[in-house]
Amino acid sequence: MLKTRPSGIVGMVVLALVVSAAIAGAIATPFDPTLVDFSSRLLPPSLRHWLGTDEWGRDVFSRLLSGAAITVSVAGMTTLLVTVFGALLGAFSGFVGGWFDRVVVALMDAFLAFPALVLAIAMTTVLAGSPVAPVIALAVAYMPYMVRVVRANVMTMRQRDFIAASKVMRNSAAFTLVRHIMPNTVAPVLVMATSLFGWALLAESALSFLGLGLAPPAASWGGMLADSRNYFADAPWLAIAPGVAISGALLGINLFGDFCRDYFDRKMKD
Amino acid sequence: MIRYAITRLALALPTIVIALFLIFALIRLIPGDPAQLILGETDDPAALARIRAELALDQPLAVQFYHWVTALGQGDFGKSISMESPVLDLLVPAMGVTASLVIPAVVLAAIMAVPLGMFAAWRQNTRTDTVVVALATVSLSIPSFWLGLMMLLLFGVQLDIFPVVGYISLTEDFTQGLHYLVLPVLTLALIEAGVLVRLARASTIEVLQLEYVAHARAKGLSESAVACRHVLPNVIGPTWIMIGLVLGGLLGGAVVIETVFSLPGLGRLMVEAVFARDYPVVQGCMVIVMLCYVGVNLMIELTAPVLCPALRYD
Amino acid sequence: MMQIPLTSDIRGTNPGVNRDANTDTIMMHVLEGLVGYREDGTPDLLLADALTVSPDGKRYTFHLREGLVFHNGQPVTSREVVWSWRRYLDPKTNWTCLADFDGTRGAKIESVDAIDPLTVSFTLDRPQPLFLTLMAAISCGGGAVLHPDSVAADGSWREPISTGPYRISSWVRGRYIDMTAFAGYRPLEGEPDGNVRGKTPYERHLRWLIIRDASSRLAALVKGQVDVMPEVPAAEMLQLRRMKDIRIVAAPMLGAYGILVQDRNPLLADLRLREAIAYSIDRRTLARLVTEDTADANPSIVASASPFGVSADTAEALFDPARARALLKAAGYRGQPIVLTTNRRYPAMFNQALLVQAMARQVGLNIKIEVLEWATQMDRWRSGDFQLLSFGFSAKADAAQSYESILGDRDASPGKTWGDPEARRLLAESMMTADMAERRKIFSKLHSEMLHDVPFIGLFSPADTNAIRDGVTGFRSWQFGRARFWGVRRNGTPAS
Repeated sequence: MLKTRPSGIVGMVVLALVVSAAIAGAIATPFDPTLVDFSSRLLPPSLRHWLGTDEWGRDVFSRLLSGAAITVSVAGMTTLLVTVFGALLGAFSGFVGGWFDRVVVALMDAFLAFPALVLAIAMTTVLAGSPVAPVIALAVAYMPYMVRVVRANVMTMRQRDFIAASKVMRNSAAFTLVRHIMPNTVAPVLVMATSLFGWALLAESALSFLGLGLAPPAASWGGMLADSRNYFADAPWLAIAPGVAISGALLGINLFGDFCRDYFDRKMKD
Repeated sequence: MIRYAITRLALALPTIVIALFLIFALIRLIPGDPAQLILGETDDPAALARIRAELALDQPLAVQFYHWVTALGQGDFGKSISMESPVLDLLVPAMGVTASLVIPAVVLAAIMAVPLGMFAAWRQNTRTDTVVVALATVSLSIPSFWLGLMMLLLFGVQLDIFPVVGYISLTEDFTQGLHYLVLPVLTLALIEAGVLVRLARASTIEVLQLEYVAHARAKGLSESAVACRHVLPNVIGPTWIMIGLVLGGLLGGAVVIETVFSLPGLGRLMVEAVFARDYPVVQGCMVIVMLCYVGVNLMIELTAPVLCPALRYD
Repeated sequence: MMQIPLTSDIRGTNPGVNRDANTDTIMMHVLEGLVGYREDGTPDLLLADALTVSPDGKRYTFHLREGLVFHNGQPVTSREVVWSWRRYLDPKTNWTCLADFDGTRGAKIESVDAIDPLTVSFTLDRPQPLFLTLMAAISCGGGAVLHPDSVAADGSWREPISTGPYRISSWVRGRYIDMTAFAGYRPLEGEPDGNVRGKTPYERHLRWLIIRDASSRLAALVKGQVDVMPEVPAAEMLQLRRMKDIRIVAAPMLGAYGILVQDRNPLLADLRLREAIAYSIDRRTLARLVTEDTADANPSIVASASPFGVSADTAEALFDPARARALLKAAGYRGQPIVLTTNRRYPAMFNQALLVQAMARQVGLNIKIEVLEWATQMDRWRSGDFQLLSFGFSAKADAAQSYESILGDRDASPGKTWGDPEARRLLAESMMTADMAERRKIFSKLHSEMLHDVPFIGLFSPADTNAIRDGVTGFRSWQFGRARFWGVRRNGTPAS
């Protein structure tokens, strides 16, 4: 399997790198990521500072590591919350149909109508600096997307022969949902979840750009990228490091998602 | 179908009212006082009380909500706190700006993405597929403000083809207006295309594995016939729904692009109103965004079954 | 047409009612009052050509310049002056500066009367040496004289009909504000000075483009889509200094940036801890880094550019890490966290907080930064609910106004961090005298008192920094930080 999809290996390796960076960042970094050093501002990459220093002389590599811990846990927890609750709700709603389905759709519409930004500001200020505030805000904002995609998929599935067959065989609704519909929904959920992880990562950088300061003064990739644009001409490494980190992490998660989907597809066929 | 539309609208109405109350309460839960922001760093309790009274901020929340909703029922959106203007006079032009940015961008993204996604799926696991997926991934991985700034630096400053900032409405001067919209629309389309390509590709691969495609092929239909008659209709369904979501989300959420290109759109108006704690403007924006959202999605839901038979309701 | 970027839309055109810094900049081109500020911030006559003050200091009589007309062509007479001022003094107008004239803060205007068509007198309930300074305040619309047609029959605001060198010809919300030179404008003769003299509107049309994002503003300047970029953020200075056809015009401003220190909590109630924080900060380095070498250190709340400011050199002596460490030891400090609240709306406030945290760490202080959204931070400031608050005070014409922003009745205004009775007495005294030497002595005493009590740790006075494209002449920065475009022209604009 892995031999036929080398990109799957690449995805896993990148993901493993990101996760180990996050773990390393949470434990120890070469320099203190918040240590301001006036004598070494905007230094290019060197043996001492592998990825150079930023406008306050802070070591970019150390900030990247500690940023990984923050960024990955925010995006990861958001994705996990949305995937678990969104997929369950969407599948159930699409399968049951009727009034329940309509109520769910209407509620999701209400949430979608709240722009993520307003929710993010509100949540973070109401929860006053709690580290889970961005996770909750983003999860609420993205939940409806998952619900609607899964629901559409399940509704399509209901028309298929094997579901009808399952009904003819007098299988219970729950059995049909779990045995036949859920496994067939894995692929769209995975594609959606990988996108979600990316959205959560990007949303954080967009909020930083708008000056909403979701992140604490400790490093986050989005915040680093947003701050770097003032020094783009003088210190391009400031933009390259978090830019590559964000894009790399996304590439990894997307390749991994594709790999998983292929894997499930083959398993289904066997 | 018409009955369904009416049912959906009727269902949407309580949702809208609930959402209105939520936003009304939520924006007031955020710390920060519009009256103090008007006064700035002046520390003058008497003036503060005077302004609060004039803005009716000293009344109970329920009373404020009642007044707002009843006025809204008569089409009166109220008056802005931070800018001396009726809310509606701010909303309408902002809405126009956002629509002329978002609608062309989403259309453009879909035109690029759906064929590309299907094409990649057809060539699954080939080099073509890898390139398309890689491109889509890159599009997903670039922060929109970053892409916007790069476009601005490249086409606006270096090549000097398009104006860097500003906006001229299409109704004022169509060609000039287009000139100002090219860069932001292109940026937004590139950003949104990524997710659509991936979705179209994934759906196509799903459909291609179904038996009736094999049947169609077995019957000797050409690949293009299979694509157009059997695959496309099934791919359009989920994609169409996604387009609805993207469009609905962008109407209030194009704020980043609006900021980079200095477009006075709805997202920008709303964020600035949130910063200024301009409650009536935030509420007005929410009403418009919600109405648009419900409208767009109703349209999508009603048309999806036409495009994709599998989504037909009983 | 000259194009200028504006960081956000203006709030309104009603003078001193619903305003912010950008609104003030725009309106200063349109409005004129009896008095205005000179380059150095002292008040001078503008629409009046003579002033007599009664010996008891309670009656100010102005004589208006002859032949002045409003934007609508009507002559300026004492009738409009009286109408304008009675409107400001009416609480229904919601004039933000009412408290300076109704007896809340200092003297009360008892009456405004027309003596003859060109003579107006203001009667106060007690002497007020700062009366002219307060009248000229830019944030109050400069006490602009308006034509009554500025207001609709029902009393609601229509548009400003005043006497300034420019008129607003159109305002498209969120996009731009267009101005046209006022053909009937008669500038006060003399070299350009403050917002008083030499205000010739050379450019017939000004367009203020609203461009929120700093990078977009810079791109517009580089491309020549705008001619001048006022309020250059420090972070853009590196790039700007390298550009060939752009030059920087900068001057120190009358504002003050620093850290408000709340002693109404168990930790900071200990004076030694407050002093330790103050001694741990190297203001020179901080000012240099935060402002990219455009501004100098200033340990006072009074700007260094003010005649009552302190020299930047005094900051040197106030940096004493050894003493800070000793104070911490004496206070028995064991690394308890101290929260420093700041925001990201104003980069200087965020950056100074970052540097204060870093410098304080060197002596063993454990400062945690809390980032709030601006309006939320304002709430905290007003309620006094903070330990350390990163703040910047806008330009104040007089040193007394600077001290007033932190010193006063702390129960009525919890945002003030200083309530020392002796200091309050000194402040009141400074407002009752116009004698320079006397006032200098008072403010010097107030400064030492402030260093002793540490209610505020002054860090630097910001600079008014503008980037100008070559070919634009006559632009001067100002200590109030408000960009002025009268007297400015581009190559090719004919001298009128």
